[in-house]
Amino acid sequence: MTTLDFVSVRKTFGPTVALESLDLSVKEGELISLLGPSGCGKTTALRIAAGFEFADSGAVLVSNADITRTPAHKRNMGMVFQSYSLFPNLTVANNVDFGLRTRKMNATDRHRRVAEILDLVQLIHLADRYPHQISGGQAQRVALARALAVQPEVLLLDEPLSALDAKVRTTLRDEIRRIQTELGITTLFVTHDQEEALAISDRIGVMSNGRLEQLDTPREVYRNPSSAFVARFVGSMNELPATVAGNHAVRVGEHAVMVSQTTQADGSPIRLLVRPEDLRLVDDGGLPGTVTTCTFQGSATVLGVRLDVLDVVVAVYVAGIADLAPGERVEVAIDGQRAVCESIS
Amino acid sequence: MIPVVVEPEIGGPPTAPTSGAPLGVGRPRSRFGRLVPNVVLVVSAVFFAMPLLALARFALQNVPTVLLGWDTLFDKWSLKGVTGVFKEEQFWASLRLSLKLAFGTVLITLFLLLPTAVWVHLRVPKARSFVEFVTVLPYMIPAIALVAGIVVIKPQARWFLNSDLSLIPFYVVLALPFTYRSFDAGLKALDLRTLVDASRSLGAGWGTTVMKVLVPNLRTSIIYASFLTAAVVMGEYTLADTLLIESLPPFQQKFVGREPQAGYGVNLLALVSTTLLFAMVALLTRKRDPKRKTFARAAANAALTSDKAQNNT
Repeated sequence: MTTLDFVSVRKTFGPTVALESLDLSVKEGELISLLGPSGCGKTTALRIAAGFEFADSGAVLVSNADITRTPAHKRNMGMVFQSYSLFPNLTVANNVDFGLRTRKMNATDRHRRVAEILDLVQLIHLADRYPHQISGGQAQRVALARALAVQPEVLLLDEPLSALDAKVRTTLRDEIRRIQTELGITTLFVTHDQEEALAISDRIGVMSNGRLEQLDTPREVYRNPSSAFVARFVGSMNELPATVAGNHAVRVGEHAVMVSQTTQADGSPIRLLVRPEDLRLVDDGGLPGTVTTCTFQGSATVLGVRLDVLDVVVAVYVAGIADLAPGERVEVAIDGQRAVCESIS
Repeated sequence: MIPVVVEPEIGGPPTAPTSGAPLGVGRPRSRFGRLVPNVVLVVSAVFFAMPLLALARFALQNVPTVLLGWDTLFDKWSLKGVTGVFKEEQFWASLRLSLKLAFGTVLITLFLLLPTAVWVHLRVPKARSFVEFVTVLPYMIPAIALVAGIVVIKPQARWFLNSDLSLIPFYVVLALPFTYRSFDAGLKALDLRTLVDASRSLGAGWGTTVMKVLVPNLRTSIIYASFLTAAVVMGEYTLADTLLIESLPPFQQKFVGREPQAGYGVNLLALVSTTLLFAMVALLTRKRDPKRKTFARAAANAALTSDKAQNNT
């Protein structure tokens, strides 16, 4: 049973605080994604787990054993990097074999293991190729195979899909999830791509400025963001100026909108953050506006609507094909139950 | 003999996507644009070959210098002058010493400079420009300045300077501008940090990482650095002459004084050998290991072995 725990981990680089006090527990067989913008500390957390950096304070535990000061090569971790990290002088098979050799496994077992793992990532036919003879997607699959070949306790993935094109990224993302589930390996995945994190994770940790803003299931992170930062960072968000009108209501223009909770005083100006799918077109009783853009996206159409009263453009999702053109008048209703009320300081 | 710095070519095309359009793609070049590189190439070739040809005529044609002209171009060519040097005992002793010095200099250069270059790239990348400046100093300060320094320390370091091999540390310094640049170019072409991290995450210590990951991927740089260092040693005259050590260049100088024609023949031979060596380096660094055992074969062997083991049990 392998778990990975960060206990109050702090890391600074000179005057810059990369990690403030990270507390995170990855359960056995779980895949947690650390999601956040560049410089939020997610890669630092991963590098500390891998042993490439050491925490200034706090502890890193693997199955409750303290590995905070253990050097990288003595931790049993598998890591896949953002840039293709295959050794250019070795064939695909020899790359996968590298970790097994360092563990001094005998040749027969090594060859069997390499064959097994290349079979798992469906690249056995490329075993004798060199890294420059395979595509980017294949290279990352080999990197994954190489990381898994040594049967690591924890798998660390540092934006492994970001250098790939969209189609390969989706395929490989699903493949990583399939393999991770099949092997039941505890995994920490770092990404700045929210779609990737939402699709692949058991839980998502959203990070900002070295702090973990929210750690929850993808559904909860999306539907009930704990802060305005999370709300903005995960998914699209409309921002509407509003005024607090009670504990469970705000006023947007002249319209009252029911929200789950407000923490601000009555009459305070706030910013109401609403997802595009929580806005809908109605025949009557909504906020009037004019369609500015109409973007067909296959299964849905995204409308840009300039609201008369607020003079802001909001995005509205309409299922299927919307029979609307720029310039047409519409009315927009707001479902505020999942909206976030952000104070304006 | 002044060695030429050649930018090393690092093993194979990059695996990471590169920005910009691939070579050869884009606006077709004008006739003038196509002509200029060819003209430069021809002029360079002539500039390189003409002195060699003149030297060859002087050294290998048994014709008085005043009579060397177009009408005697093909007259009385002979290798006799050059082959005469092989009968000189001192030639072989000097050659052996120069080779020993070259070998020692290459070893020490690799041992000192490669880890330094890796360390600078990995741990203190901000110091790169400073290190580059330091390594270029021997190029800016003439060897004669080094000689002046040696003269100053000679009374105190006679025990060391009396040895023929005392030239090695000075040659390491003299070769620095070429060797460091070669390693630096090789390291810049690698995603060094990721490769090192990948190797360490797979359980390799620093020794394994250097020997199994860095050295093979810096093969071209190492070969170039070694050849450049050897070329510096084989051609260095000032220091050897000052320390009264008769390596190949001082021998050549004396030999030219004694037998000018044969002496220049030997110089020509040295130049041609160096050129051929660098051509060979270019070939060497492209070649893949033909004896590489394929995974398919190895896996089949493994399967056979395990089948046999199962049958035996």
